[in-house]
Amino acid sequence: MNTNVLPREQTKSKTSSRPVIELVGMSKWFGSFQVLKDIDLQVYEGERIVVCGPSGSGKSTMIRCINQLEVHQEGDVIINGEAFGNDVAKNDHIRREIGMVFQQFNLFPHLSVLENLTLAPIWVKEMPKHEAESLAMSLLERVRIPEQALKYPLQLSGGQQQRVAIARALCMNPQIMLFDEPTSALDPEMINEVLDVMIELADSGMTMIVVTHEMNFARRVADRVIFMDQGEIVEVAPPGPFFDNPRYDRTRLFLSQILHH
Amino acid sequence: MSDSTLVTTDDVDKALVFKPKDARPAPPSTVGVIGWMRNNLFSNVSNTLLTIVGAYIVYTFFSAVLNWAVFNAVWEAESRRECLDLVGRSGACWPGVAAWMENLIYGLYPKHQVWRINLGFLALIAWVIPLWLPRVKSKVAIGISAVLIYPFLASYFFMGGNKGLVWTLLIALGVTGFAWVWLTTLTEMRYGLPFTRFMAGMLGASGKPQEVQVKYGRFSMLFVFVIALVLVTQWELQEVQTRQWGGLFLTLVISGIGITFSLPAGIVLALGRRSNMPLIRILSTTFIELFRSVPLITILFMFNTMLPLFLPVGVEVNQLLRAIVAVCLFAAAYMAEVIRGGLQAIPKGQYEAADAMGLGYWQSTTLIIMPQALKIMIPTIVGNFIGLFKDTTLVSIIGLFDLLSMSRAVGEDSRWLGLFIEPFFFVTMIYFVFCFLMSQYSINLERKLAAGNQR
Repeated sequence: MNTNVLPREQTKSKTSSRPVIELVGMSKWFGSFQVLKDIDLQVYEGERIVVCGPSGSGKSTMIRCINQLEVHQEGDVIINGEAFGNDVAKNDHIRREIGMVFQQFNLFPHLSVLENLTLAPIWVKEMPKHEAESLAMSLLERVRIPEQALKYPLQLSGGQQQRVAIARALCMNPQIMLFDEPTSALDPEMINEVLDVMIELADSGMTMIVVTHEMNFARRVADRVIFMDQGEIVEVAPPGPFFDNPRYDRTRLFLSQILHH
Repeated sequence: MSDSTLVTTDDVDKALVFKPKDARPAPPSTVGVIGWMRNNLFSNVSNTLLTIVGAYIVYTFFSAVLNWAVFNAVWEAESRRECLDLVGRSGACWPGVAAWMENLIYGLYPKHQVWRINLGFLALIAWVIPLWLPRVKSKVAIGISAVLIYPFLASYFFMGGNKGLVWTLLIALGVTGFAWVWLTTLTEMRYGLPFTRFMAGMLGASGKPQEVQVKYGRFSMLFVFVIALVLVTQWELQEVQTRQWGGLFLTLVISGIGITFSLPAGIVLALGRRSNMPLIRILSTTFIELFRSVPLITILFMFNTMLPLFLPVGVEVNQLLRAIVAVCLFAAAYMAEVIRGGLQAIPKGQYEAADAMGLGYWQSTTLIIMPQALKIMIPTIVGNFIGLFKDTTLVSIIGLFDLLSMSRAVGEDSRWLGLFIEPFFFVTMIYFVFCFLMSQYSINLERKLAAGNQR
């Protein structure tokens, strides 16, 4: 299956030649159940990848392996040419380049919005407090909620919380952003405010991998769309061909089920 | 739709404008005291009946207690016989309790030395007062100093005796700590700077780089320490054996140390039990399960009678110390399970978010996980503290005269022979006051912490 090897020219990125993320023959088992089967994927700098697929297809597990929230058992996860291994300190160092946004936001409820943002810069990067705070405020402005800085996460709406979570991930100035179903836990009225922030981020040139079922977002933003099923990457294509002319029957079935209610 | 919320406009093509209705106040019969009583006490016939019967039971019980304890009680008498002649058994005989009051509170501590106990407890209160004062920023440092440094000062106050070099230094450290707490409190309230920073400014280092300021600040603390050292060498207290300690004082010492030790030890054990390292996990689990599956009485007996058998001849560990160690270890094992419960209630997403941001194990534990775990477990933690406070009555079984055993001694005094109920009643009240205050404080704390975190 070499559908997942796409010629360089077809991706939007023109600047770099080396992939920032490389998954090489990555496999993972939960107990004796294989969730990921020999995943091969290369993501280039500035690329926006949207991952979709039925539940249980392994798409969340795959992006969680990219920052090693889940540890894979075979193959390699290589970020900027450095592979995750057994060295905890080195893993933590590689991880700093990767920001992650979760379905359930996972903000720290006992800290104010501002403290949520400044925590990692202060403790991990040892940035002075005032510097971290001005960085945090500029990011809150970027996600359009600077006025909520002193509130606590549970006082905000879901959409606002998710935007705080995006700003929190950006606070570490990551090179790569992973989004694990960022809009699935939101009320319908709040989905767009989060997608707008993500589109702005994509336009700024951030390397992004987004697990989502927001197909309009995928069509508008993605360089490549990945369809996964049963732990495998079934099909990789730019959004145009992917939506208009999918090559696999499984992809067609999936698309017909999520696009026609 | 008479008071329509929809206002049509002239233009048919324009959308209708939605205007929300104004909110009205709740019906008067459902709010306020009357509303509450109507809803909760007299909502229907059976509830009304229950309310009346309940009120009657409460009234009979309290009137009987009040009659015995206050209205029929004897307040002045020389002996129990006199009390019985006056009111028989229908009223309490308080003079017996009053005559033993000093022993109930201080045990057999020499009378002319009792001021040391009072001073020791006042010092503790003074030490922690700044924690509740506004504009004091070094609260964490003050709290830690109260746990780590105050005990040196207090133990010399209570024990006295020949100091020796090590104790002299430790006591001077205690005095310095106390001085630092209040100097910092005052400078922070007045100038917004901790004492060392303030002194650096006073000594003319305000414009100089941070390291120089820190040096000047340290120097000023060293100066305070030297003064304290000189004072401490000038001053010696008479030795009081720990077997003379007793009453409420002993209860507070044992439970105070047990409570202060159990929380940090419990945190360490709980983290150990959840550790990925097999050795640490097995050791923690073994310790917790061992101490949790044995009654406190048994542990006290073990430490009291069996420990000396294992120690080399001639080495003697103070009996009070043995009891305190036993209580501490027991309390730590229980606390560990409480903390572990709190840790398990933290969603996995919190760990993942901390990991994803590159925080290490200790950073995510101290900054993210533990604050949340402790917060949800406050009621249980304080519940454990209260339990421990009452469990210290068991030390009477190994011959220590805590509050409860002191109260039993009243009835064995020849003048007050058989006077048991009154001292027990008095002791009950003391326990009640302490436990009630603890539980109120915990409720208070919960409310304060919840305020910021809820809608």
